[in-house]
Amino acid sequence: MTLPTSDAVTASTRDQVFRVRGLTKVYGTGTAAVHALAGVDLDLHAGELVVLLGPSGSGKTTLLNNLGGLDVPTTGELWYRDMDLTAADEDQLTRYRRDAVGFIFQFYNLIPSLTARENVALITEIARDPMPAEDALHLVHLGARLDHFPAQLSGGEQQRVAIARAIAKRPEVLLCDEPTGALDVKTGIVVLEAIQNANRELGTLTVVITHNAIMADMADRVIHLSDGRVHHIRQNAQRAPASSLNW
Amino acid sequence: MISYLDRKLWRDLNRMKGQAFAVALVMACGLAMMIMARSLIKSLDTTRREYYESNRFADVFANLKRAPNALADRVRALPGVAEVQVGISMQVTLDIAGLAEPASGLVRSLPDFGQPELNQLFLRTGQWLSAERRGEALVGEAFAVANQLRPGDTVTMLLNGRRQTLRIAGIVLSPEFIFESRPGAALPDNRTYGIFWMRYSDVAAAFDLDGAFNFVSLTLEPGAVERLVIAALDRLLTPYGGRGAYGRSDHPSHIRVSDEIRVLKALSIGFPVVFLSVAAFMTNSILSRLLNLQREQIAILKAFGFGNRQIAVHYLKFAFVMVAGGTVLGCLGGIGLGLRLVHLYTAFFRFPELNFMLNESALSVALLVCAGAALAGVFSAVRRAARLPPAEAMRPEPPADYRPALVERTGIAHWLSHTFRIAVRNIERRPMQALFTVAGLSLATGILVVPNAFRDSVSYVLDYQWDTLQQQDLSVGLVEPAHAAVNHLFRRLPGVVTMEPFRTAFVRIRNGPHQRQLPLQGQLPSALHNRVIDQDDHRIVLPTQGVVLSSKLAEALQARLGDDLVIDVLEGKRPTLILPLVGLSEDLAGVAAYTDLHSLNRLLGEGDIVSGASFCLDANRQADFLRALKDIPRVSWVAIKKSLRENFRNTTAASIGLFQKVYMVLAMIVSFGVVYNNARISLAERARELATLRVIGFSRREVGGVLLTELSVLALLALPIGLALGAGFATAIVSAVNTETVHLPVILTSANYAFAALTVLVASATSAVVVLRRVNRLNLVSALKAPE
Repeated sequence: MTLPTSDAVTASTRDQVFRVRGLTKVYGTGTAAVHALAGVDLDLHAGELVVLLGPSGSGKTTLLNNLGGLDVPTTGELWYRDMDLTAADEDQLTRYRRDAVGFIFQFYNLIPSLTARENVALITEIARDPMPAEDALHLVHLGARLDHFPAQLSGGEQQRVAIARAIAKRPEVLLCDEPTGALDVKTGIVVLEAIQNANRELGTLTVVITHNAIMADMADRVIHLSDGRVHHIRQNAQRAPASSLNW
Repeated sequence: MISYLDRKLWRDLNRMKGQAFAVALVMACGLAMMIMARSLIKSLDTTRREYYESNRFADVFANLKRAPNALADRVRALPGVAEVQVGISMQVTLDIAGLAEPASGLVRSLPDFGQPELNQLFLRTGQWLSAERRGEALVGEAFAVANQLRPGDTVTMLLNGRRQTLRIAGIVLSPEFIFESRPGAALPDNRTYGIFWMRYSDVAAAFDLDGAFNFVSLTLEPGAVERLVIAALDRLLTPYGGRGAYGRSDHPSHIRVSDEIRVLKALSIGFPVVFLSVAAFMTNSILSRLLNLQREQIAILKAFGFGNRQIAVHYLKFAFVMVAGGTVLGCLGGIGLGLRLVHLYTAFFRFPELNFMLNESALSVALLVCAGAALAGVFSAVRRAARLPPAEAMRPEPPADYRPALVERTGIAHWLSHTFRIAVRNIERRPMQALFTVAGLSLATGILVVPNAFRDSVSYVLDYQWDTLQQQDLSVGLVEPAHAAVNHLFRRLPGVVTMEPFRTAFVRIRNGPHQRQLPLQGQLPSALHNRVIDQDDHRIVLPTQGVVLSSKLAEALQARLGDDLVIDVLEGKRPTLILPLVGLSEDLAGVAAYTDLHSLNRLLGEGDIVSGASFCLDANRQADFLRALKDIPRVSWVAIKKSLRENFRNTTAASIGLFQKVYMVLAMIVSFGVVYNNARISLAERARELATLRVIGFSRREVGGVLLTELSVLALLALPIGLALGAGFATAIVSAVNTETVHLPVILTSANYAFAALTVLVASATSAVVVLRRVNRLNLVSALKAPE
């Protein structure tokens, strides 16, 4: 089964979510300086699913963190709709993350002292228009494990809780940093399906970091990074369902 | 509904309940100490004030030889005088059945009808004196308790040379004798000195003072100047043998109570300040370290859009729970201890009722300090976490910049085990954490030094006073000064090895505007019994011209060596002398003035007179000596060094000892709390690293060894610092206890240091066992994977 490429992708200038120009990020100073991003130009659109590919140190995570307002660039332009993220102060970034961004990390980063339901509900408490925590967990097929603590869940389940947590606030952007990096193939596919579902059903712009090239097939676009720059962008004619992937 | 963030709070707290409890406990100890000490002072102060008011304690007092009762009206007419009470006050010799040594006392008259206007008594048990029954007396409580006297018992005394047996009607308390002690005695001996009250007509008849008085007390009108009233009263009483009027500030009982309160105040500031500072520091550093461990969680919360303020509030609640816990514990502890300890003061002071009164302001001050420390701890940690961009906070810490440790660079690396190297490199790599640990352990060691230093200082003073200064076995005082011929009588008493006569004269010493009333002690120029020693431990030979003052007294008079002092003698022919200050003696307890016996007699112009003598005795013949002494009617009192010392050990020293133990227990709790928390936090901070070591093949033993080595190295660093710190604390606190009558030197013994060090080592070992058990339970996989 193949999925049609979403309309948003074809209308490339319409409904632009991110506009990135000449973005650089330098860690450290002097001889110890590391140029994590060395001038990235990029546009991301509503509803599309983008995979960021690249070797370690190519700047994937740095780009994602900058997009998500977790980190600020050194130079360059970074626009979220009509918001200049490079000029945003701490409070504005906090509000941006709270309202617009959902994160999924490689190591799940759940609050260990809260149950699955509570981890999700914690976020819905501060969100503007959240869905009930239970609904979010049903979306990732965890309806039966609502009251388990992270330590009582498998890695895949923890990651799905993290996805539920990220999508529960109906974010406009879903940023996933190697969501399957710590999981086996089978579990990884379940997690990817959950991400794909969220993208499809909520129309969320989804950016997934991976160094697993096979996962690129599920994307609308595949952006290859190397040495802190966009090396090339590949447009997939058709998105493969996550369930068909294998590595 | 409780918010999810609060649920996280409760569960986190629950997970760390041991540590949270330790923080609360440390804080509670500081609070308890502060609340207890301040409340005890408040209790004493308030009780005394109320007692003085309700029983109408006088403002000015004067003894005289004899004056007709009609003179009372002229006293009353003096400007500034409100009420006047006249009566008879006489020293008497007692004969207590079963008591080897002679005892003495003071008899006071009470109006034949009704209560006196001033210095009213409080009846503890029994009855007031009745107009119908003769031969009755009321007895002061301290003496009654010491001699187990009850109403209905009898007491025999020599009234003006006549032996008389009196029936005890009741046991009473007086605001004039909250502290019952023979005038001039450094320490009370309630067995051999008592206060009695009899009807005026009985006393007057016994002493041939019918229609006359020899003691007057008065209260001042509001706004009256005490100094002027005293001067006017002195002028009025001089023709009647007035011995110098004095105000409350020279009243023996009042001075002692004030002084005790002053000592308590010094202690109540010193101890709690040290404890609270330690508690505050620990609360601060523990909270900030605990929050550092939550760095990743703070980052997640930030990533999902929680603002800095929300996060700060969340962790403030965290601290608040500990502060609240500490406060509740501290208040309960402070009140509980205060309730128990307040009763100890009945050993020193006789009040109708001494109830514990909570000092609320101390509570709020202590609370503010603790809460402030907790807030500061949370803020610094949250600010650090919040300042970090979330992306960075979530990233695993960058690999540390490891390099060979300093000890290794010295070239002895091959002597060191792997474990030791890891431990030492770690300390160097994380200097701040090491610093916190060392600071915590040092403070824990330091506060353990203080209570014992205080105990050692007190016992040093007593040893100094009794072993170094007073070489005699006992001293004997006469009812009235007598001709030196009595020396022969003294010398012939059984068992006497050496005898030294002395003469005391009640004087007022003036230097410019400063003055003090006290007995001037005339003794042999190089007395061997009651030694006069200067600051450098050299004997001072009393010169024929001039006086030697204890250095505290000279300080109070602001007199320096060579200054001419004006000395008004307040008895006999009442001459006014001008004598130079020729020496400063080191007296640790009480104030004293010495001069040469013969020149004193010459200056007083009453011939060769003595008022008592001190003796060294053949130990086997002390009983014979005392028996013989009882037959000398003019002997008023005997002070036996050994029994004074024993008595002191059983009462005052026991009370001080109990206080010291309370402080010690609190210090130990704080110490254990600090050490335990340090170990737990060190473990938490290192959990991932230690788990990694386990994963790559280190055994539990080796991993435990790394942690233990690290803690041991830090403990070894901390101990000397802590001991030095403790010496500093002790010096600050003990020197704060520096009143006119008590001067504590700072005594730091190696036993004290050893005890502090040993306690910290035991605490460390115990904590290490707990921590090691946790190392064994380290969940390797989760510690490596999910950062918690």
